[in-house]
Amino acid sequence: MTQETIRVLDPTAPLSIATDGMADRPESLAGMRVGLMRNSKMKSEPLLDAIYDVLAERFDVAGAYKVDKGEASRPAEPKFLSDFSKEVDVALLANGD
Amino acid sequence: MTRLTSNSIELPGVLEAIETYFENGWSDGLPVVPPTPEAVTATLEAANLRPDAILGIEPVKSAVITAEKAAINAIMAGCKPEYMPVVVAAIGAITQPEFNLHGITVSTMGAAILLVVNGPITEELGINSKTSAFGPGYRANATIGRAIRLLIINVLGTRTDDGLDKATLGHPGKYSWCIAENEDDLPYGWTPMHVTRGVEEGKSAVTVFPGLSATQFGEHEANTPEGILDAFAQRLYPLGPGLDEVAIIISPEHAAYLEKARWQKEQVGNYLFENARKTASEWTAMGLPSGAQQENNTKLDAIERDRPISVLSSPESAIPIVVGGAGGGWSAVIPTWSNGSRAKIVTRAINLSK
Repeated sequence: MTQETIRVLDPTAPLSIATDGMADRPESLAGMRVGLMRNSKMKSEPLLDAIYDVLAERFDVAGAYKVDKGEASRPAEPKFLSDFSKEVDVALLANGD
Repeated sequence: MTRLTSNSIELPGVLEAIETYFENGWSDGLPVVPPTPEAVTATLEAANLRPDAILGIEPVKSAVITAEKAAINAIMAGCKPEYMPVVVAAIGAITQPEFNLHGITVSTMGAAILLVVNGPITEELGINSKTSAFGPGYRANATIGRAIRLLIINVLGTRTDDGLDKATLGHPGKYSWCIAENEDDLPYGWTPMHVTRGVEEGKSAVTVFPGLSATQFGEHEANTPEGILDAFAQRLYPLGPGLDEVAIIISPEHAAYLEKARWQKEQVGNYLFENARKTASEWTAMGLPSGAQQENNTKLDAIERDRPISVLSSPESAIPIVVGGAGGGWSAVIPTWSNGSRAKIVTRAINLSK
């Protein structure tokens, strides 16, 4: 008796959008403008503020640029991200219920 | 019929195939039916679908759900080919932007997707709407709901084991959650839910809810619409003021009392909107609104502390659905993710044209 095999199909699908890796990390935060993007959740702002305070204490950063992307469950609009990226050198995002 | 394009794997047998789907993370934790090319082709042909037909695109990740992937996952779930029109309509519904599919499937709030099917197809396919409608034992209920979840896992990549699904507690409805409305026990003069939501009478449709856990309650003494709806109100209060959308699951016994009093469907929402109220002070004392509700739902007026504020944002916020079997005054409320403020219930007609 010959061994019966079975052929089956892959149920997954590759995502059509590019999945970018991590952005290059700066060597130092000295002189950098730090973007703080909260997502409208209550604790996202105090969380970012607390992290920024630590960074400002340890590094000679050039200040903070704070924005609220609104609606936590949906992505920010491309223009919002583009405008934000023009204002900052590095960025922190936070989610906080 | 164009050719299938999915990668295939040759394995020694059915049990090895089942194990391979577990190992590859292609399952919901239960064994799947191995989707052979022959079964997928037969399902697509029965449903008159080309493999490359696009059934929906999840907007955030631009994840494309083709008929081929839908058929593969439906077979894995255990669907019969004749279930495909419901699966296809459900995919169309969940990928509408207002449903916020990405948001509800990755959120810590942990909504599952409740499918409610209406119309003649429910009887043709045997989708249970009566005794234990939310329970096990019916292939169509179990496998249609499961097909949608497997698509979310496999095509959207939203799994619990690699981090995208961040539900704090999870939800048993994420295995499968599909019922039909019990149209036989609708009170006289009521339209079925899909007709209320704009689908032509006599057609079939599926309505998708971003559903949180149901709260079932017994009301065995009240025999008036007011008494029964007051019991509903008690289960709505803990959800907080200003609910935009909430499923009001009415058992046949309770529906019969509404019919006896000649209540029409819109009176359910009207009564709850007008009568299920608390003052701002009372809501605050309950700790409500809490969390994200503070920013998205009804604002409590800091000055008018004695003004009664409804648990609903409008009479239409209550979505009555008659479900369940004879005997037993057990009804339920099913809250929706974000209480309907950031994800909306969607209804799609089921296309049976061949």
